[in-house]
Amino acid sequence: MTSYSNDGFFNPAYHDSETLEIDRRSSSKNQHINPYTREDPAWRFDGADTHHSPVCQPSSADAGRVALGGWQEESWRRRDSIPMGVISNPGSPSWQHELTHSTSQINPQCDQSPSVRRPSSVSGNMTMRLTGITMNRMNMFPNTDPAFIEDAVRNEMEKEEQDLIKELVTLSRRDRIRTIRELPMCFEEKKHIRSQVLAFKTSKQSHNCTCFADYFENVTLCFRRCGYSIRSARQTLELWHGIMKEISGKFGTSVLSYFVFLKWLLMFNIFSFLVNFGFITIPLLVYDPSPNIPPNVSFRGLEILTGAGYISYTVMYYGGYSNETFVGLAKYDMQLAYFFTIAIYMVLCGIALIFSMARSFMKNFVLVNPASDKAWQLLCSWDFSITNERAVRQRKNNLRVQLKESLSEQAQRELLTLSEKLKQFGVYLGSWLLSTSLAVGCGASIYYLCQYEQEQATDAANWTLLQEAQTLLVPFVVSLMNLVVPLFYSLFNKFEHYSSQRRQIYALVVRNIFLKLFILGVLCYYWMNVVAYRFTCWESMVGQALYRLVIVDFLFLMLGSFFGEFLSNLIGTRLLPHVGIPEFDVARNVLELIYAQTLAWIGIYFSPLLPAIQILKFFILFYLKKVSLTHNCQPPRRIGRAAQMQTIFIAVLFFPFFVGALSMVAYVSWRLTPSEQCGPFRGLNSTFSVVGVWMHNLHEIPGSQWVIWIYEHIIESELFYFLIALIVQAITYTFWQISQGRKALIALLRQQIVNVGKDKSFLIDKLQTLQNSDPNKKSKEKDQKMHTKQCSDEQSSGSQSNSNAMVQALLARQQFEEEDERRSADGVPVPADISTPSALMQAMLARQRAEAWDEHLYQMPDNYPSSSSTLVQAMQARQRAESQERAEYIRTAPFSENPVNRFSAVSQTDRSGDLSSSVSSVKMQVREKSAEEEDRFQWVPSPSQNPAPPGSSALIQAMLARQQAQNEFDDGY
Amino acid sequence: MGNKQTIFTDEQLDAYQVRLLHGRYHELAPHLVPMDYTNDPDCKLPLALIVNMPELKENPFRNRIVEAFSEDGAGNLSFNEFVDMFSVLSEMAPRELKAIYAFKIYDFNVDNYLCKEDLEKTLNKLTKEELTPEEVELVCEKTIEEADLDGDNKLSFTDFENMISRAPDFLSTFHIRI
Repeated sequence: MTSYSNDGFFNPAYHDSETLEIDRRSSSKNQHINPYTREDPAWRFDGADTHHSPVCQPSSADAGRVALGGWQEESWRRRDSIPMGVISNPGSPSWQHELTHSTSQINPQCDQSPSVRRPSSVSGNMTMRLTGITMNRMNMFPNTDPAFIEDAVRNEMEKEEQDLIKELVTLSRRDRIRTIRELPMCFEEKKHIRSQVLAFKTSKQSHNCTCFADYFENVTLCFRRCGYSIRSARQTLELWHGIMKEISGKFGTSVLSYFVFLKWLLMFNIFSFLVNFGFITIPLLVYDPSPNIPPNVSFRGLEILTGAGYISYTVMYYGGYSNETFVGLAKYDMQLAYFFTIAIYMVLCGIALIFSMARSFMKNFVLVNPASDKAWQLLCSWDFSITNERAVRQRKNNLRVQLKESLSEQAQRELLTLSEKLKQFGVYLGSWLLSTSLAVGCGASIYYLCQYEQEQATDAANWTLLQEAQTLLVPFVVSLMNLVVPLFYSLFNKFEHYSSQRRQIYALVVRNIFLKLFILGVLCYYWMNVVAYRFTCWESMVGQALYRLVIVDFLFLMLGSFFGEFLSNLIGTRLLPHVGIPEFDVARNVLELIYAQTLAWIGIYFSPLLPAIQILKFFILFYLKKVSLTHNCQPPRRIGRAAQMQTIFIAVLFFPFFVGALSMVAYVSWRLTPSEQCGPFRGLNSTFSVVGVWMHNLHEIPGSQWVIWIYEHIIESELFYFLIALIVQAITYTFWQISQGRKALIALLRQQIVNVGKDKSFLIDKLQTLQNSDPNKKSKEKDQKMHTKQCSDEQSSGSQSNSNAMVQALLARQQFEEEDERRSADGVPVPADISTPSALMQAMLARQRAEAWDEHLYQMPDNYPSSSSTLVQAMQARQRAESQERAEYIRTAPFSENPVNRFSAVSQTDRSGDLSSSVSSVKMQVREKSAEEEDRFQWVPSPSQNPAPPGSSALIQAMLARQQAQNEFDDGY
Repeated sequence: MGNKQTIFTDEQLDAYQVRLLHGRYHELAPHLVPMDYTNDPDCKLPLALIVNMPELKENPFRNRIVEAFSEDGAGNLSFNEFVDMFSVLSEMAPRELKAIYAFKIYDFNVDNYLCKEDLEKTLNKLTKEELTPEEVELVCEKTIEEADLDGDNKLSFTDFENMISRAPDFLSTFHIRI
């Protein structure tokens, strides 16, 4: 690493121009992120496969001859290609350079002339880019010779590529593939990089390459291809891809999120249907295919709506399953199968929900800053997936209106007086009270309705049609409430004026959740406390009730989209044009889906095949909503933040609804007595006791002691759960603390970016004033090496170099910090990992250059015999010190994984800035030197004695060092 | 079409998608683009043809998108660059990559910074140029004020990326379904 960077550094192009060096710093600041510095001229040359290039005859004799140090100059003079096979000494540091030559330096025109430094000899594209970059830089620093800039750009690009390849070689294959994929380059370049890295690898491993390794490689390649083709096939079969594209093209991402959610729920239900059908229903059907229906019950048609009568004797409900153990090829205990299928399904659902929720939170909520609204609207809000002309026009209009509104809002907000605030608060309070009391009222009325129904209903097996139809009353009222009350809630929005649209949506969502929770809670209470003690086969009764709820809810969803959207569209277009075409209300629709899914979860115990109904329902709903959307609705007027809303919906689905359903099912299976006459658990005290019975039976089977031990010591012991809870709490607390610490660190680093930016602009201003004040500078720079400076220039050029070195050191540091910050903020480690060593390297380069400047300046006073031996002695002492320091760098570089080391290296760079400023007076330099010696004593042992001091203190030290440098600079100046 | 593997390594893209994209590319100019890409023919389609794709046709930034991905900066795309474009705009592309190209797209004058001039152009493209100059000015100033971290009165890539990292929607909205 160190020797490598030294090689690059001795290239004279770096020293050609002062401004160029500064510019180099600033441009390579974004080394791995900036799309513009990415363009490496060397890569443009290669075709698909350079080794078999028919035009260029490789001259293999040159293979091992590339000088170790001068590869960069060489690379631009040599135009012959070197085949990979003849690399003589793969262990030496020069081998990678040769490799690059062999693959990248071939000019398509086979140009053998040595004049490759001129851009005219390279391909047209490249020339354009190169000149483009060069022009940019020349605009920034107009006083410099363009040739220098061009060379520097070229060298810089080459070096970047080399660094990148070296980084990639060290990574594992999976990381490498990902890193290459994330490179912001065009495809050819990626391919080139990849081929180089692979060539590197094979040349490394060539000596121990065996038949077995070849075979192994082939097999893995085969497997990978297989995997890719399977994935392609999956993509071909992806459900509703075309429809999704159409919706997003016409209505944008926020409406699309509803359909994505619907599809996700559909997949969920397909999974649960497969599980239940496979493990519960199929065994029963195989053993006993005919349902035992009483002879006087026949199918009448109304059962499809009510789920009663004929259907109640089938495998649809709990009551249709037996408690036997089927003896076929193997024993199949129906009780255990039923219990474990439901339990494992619930656990899997919970895990899937938690994971998707956590991932969504991580992606969408980590660093969300609501303050930057304008910037977001301007630069991030445009939906690239919209392809419909009308939608584009509408969206542009909406954005314009929104911008105007927000501009006027800002003017308005300051005018709010106390009384107005109080009034607004009163409106909020009133509407919240009203909405909550509405929800409570709905719950209460449903409870009384249920009681009324219970008085009417009997436990008879054969209801008349009227009786059967009466059972539809409760589901009808429940669905009606679910349809009408949310409309009232959205009316409230007209009165309360929330300051932001998001708050308004959240208020609406929370009210709707309350409503649905009250309704479901009352129903569950009624089932568990009334139905469970009244009917002989009460589980089937609850199953029927849930079936009715699901079906009627489906009917109301259809009616809702007909009346809600179709009719209001008619009204909006024909009767009352000022009302306008309705918008698709994503929040309300998603809450309806969540409610429907909760019903299915509650019903999974009472009616194992309810997911089948749910699949059908969601499938039809998808097409229904799509048609209704495209015909009746317009895109939402407000551009909300869809990703956050989606996260919230998943969270809501998990927290009150799934957890509620889970606790309901758990309570039923732990506490309530299963019905005596029907179902798999007849005759047991509770559903859970089936496990106890199983354990009891296991005692007779030898070799199953461990299962019993687990049951007795883990499942049944409170101590185990207590310990688990403690451990989970401790872990949670630790993670919470870590996240708090990271938050503080992020704030600190952000503050530093601000500081560094100010420093940078200040220094650049200063530099430019200096440049402008010195008209002779340009010619002087060209003659630098001839040492023909006037003594009158000495002072100014000295300060110039000081500022130069300082700027470089600062910029190098800033780059490092920014990269570090980005890594900590983004959690995308790979690119930053690549760039960190290079940041360190650049800091070192900057420092070395600063030293070179110093040395160069020292030679000037040689013209004055009066500046006598003190100076020479000081210089010698200082050089000694510097060589020591360099040795330390070499030592510290391998430890660069430790951030503290990196910081210390950076701060040493800063100190080199201090050093260079000491030119102005000899005394000062000597003092400096001693100070530096002391410093080094403080710094050098730090990695060994205290391997991990907190990063922030290192940062502070680095900042202090920088401030000191600045003070020195001011003094010197 | 048989040997896609010679052009696209299997690690880069799925063969199915590449085939799909090649179909679309071919469709744009059937007489220019060969069906057979075995010999890696050198053919480029001009900007005017590409921005007429239905996916890009209505996009206010269509010219900038194509220019950002073309090697010569003038909007001529080879097939490789065409694939690049849709892979960056696909769902799978990492946030960092998307941010880089979004920055490139918004950087109208290719000076490595989003300065006020760039933002004004962006805004005018987004609002059909119906805002008054004062409003445009105000919005651009506010934008810079909000997103500029280092106080140089223009947005560098770092500023932009920082802003993107706080806007989770960006991943889903900077996405063109092919």
